[in-house]
Amino acid sequence: MNNSMYDKKTKNYRCKNLCMSMFAASTMLLAACASTPPPTLALQAAEQAIANAEQARVADYASPELSEAREKMAAAKTAVHEENMQKAQRLAEQARVDAELALAKSGTGRANTVNDEMQKSTETIRQEMQRNTGARQ
Amino acid sequence: MNRFNGDLKKIGYKKPLAMAIASLLVVACSTAGKPDGSVEVRNKLTQLQANPDLASRAPVAIKDAEVAVRAAEETGVGSEESRHRVFMADHKVDIAEAQAKTRLLEDQRTILSQQRESSRLDSRTREADKAHGDAAAARTEAELAHLDTADARRDAASAQQQNEELQRQIAELNAKETERGLVVTLGDVLFDTDKSDLKGGATSNLGKLAAFLNKYPGRTVMIEGHTDSTGAEDYNQSLSQRRADSVKSYLVHQGVEASRFTTAGLGEGSPVASNDTQAGRQQNRRVEVIISK
Repeated sequence: MNNSMYDKKTKNYRCKNLCMSMFAASTMLLAACASTPPPTLALQAAEQAIANAEQARVADYASPELSEAREKMAAAKTAVHEENMQKAQRLAEQARVDAELALAKSGTGRANTVNDEMQKSTETIRQEMQRNTGARQ
Repeated sequence: MNRFNGDLKKIGYKKPLAMAIASLLVVACSTAGKPDGSVEVRNKLTQLQANPDLASRAPVAIKDAEVAVRAAEETGVGSEESRHRVFMADHKVDIAEAQAKTRLLEDQRTILSQQRESSRLDSRTREADKAHGDAAAARTEAELAHLDTADARRDAASAQQQNEELQRQIAELNAKETERGLVVTLGDVLFDTDKSDLKGGATSNLGKLAAFLNKYPGRTVMIEGHTDSTGAEDYNQSLSQRRADSVKSYLVHQGVEASRFTTAGLGEGSPVASNDTQAGRQQNRRVEVIISK
């Protein structure tokens, strides 16, 4: 008896809970579909990151990442047209990190080139000096 | 009601089973239930954080990556969102690593430029040392040359001075430079007639001669005595010899080495003037001191 009382209570509670959550989810989905604006901030940020990378002429060091960023940016814009804002948001975010990675990698590549040149010039000085001393002795 | 009860009973039986499944799921989630790729991304981040050269060089980017990795780990398996988050996390870790590497390279530049400077300095120091050495050598040479010149000049000057001195002394001695050497003619005023000892007044003239000979110790001296034609020839010869010896002994007494002297009594055979006149005979009575060149 005790047991059945408990079960009844549970059932009622479950039903209510399920109904409520379904309602909430549907309203949320509706609200999302109806009023989600395009991911303007993410798109702008991605645009800016790509511009920065292009300005830094990263193509020499990280062109695959930059092309990826451009492609995703285009896809994000398409998604906006298709009103798939979540997809647009993700593509924009990915385009941004692609561009940022391109910039970071090109920075490393450039720094590496500079260091190599410094090392080479030190080596040249050393060799020249050795040659001079060798010629003198 | 019955149906309801039956259903309820069924649910009651199934409860432990459901719980077991749920707990299995929970266990699964905590071990292998992470989104695809998130484990790899976490490993990559952990490696970056453990690298002492890189970890401290991009703290902000590493923190960003950490947040992104955690976000990726928290999403459900297989969803679009989880794939997105893993992608984001992976890229953020890569960005952090690239930034850290760039900073490391930039920091190494300080050492590189120090190395370059030191080798440049080394090379310049060596060049300077060489130049300095060359300059020092050149200076030494120049100084030596200068010294040589100075020496030569001094030598020349002193030679000239000596020569002048000699000339002056020669002039003072009334010496004549001839092929045989310097000839100093000591007139008969040195001796009384028929005497071979020196007169008192003669010594001042002979003193100059002694001083001169002492000054030029390399010169040998020939002393020749001469007479006029008055008297016997043999006597005159021996008188002239005695007079020459007398002059020699005076000079030796003045400190001139005796071995430098040669004396000769030439008598009346080598007159310098006529013996017919008094003045001529006076000129013929003489002692000639010939000093070698």
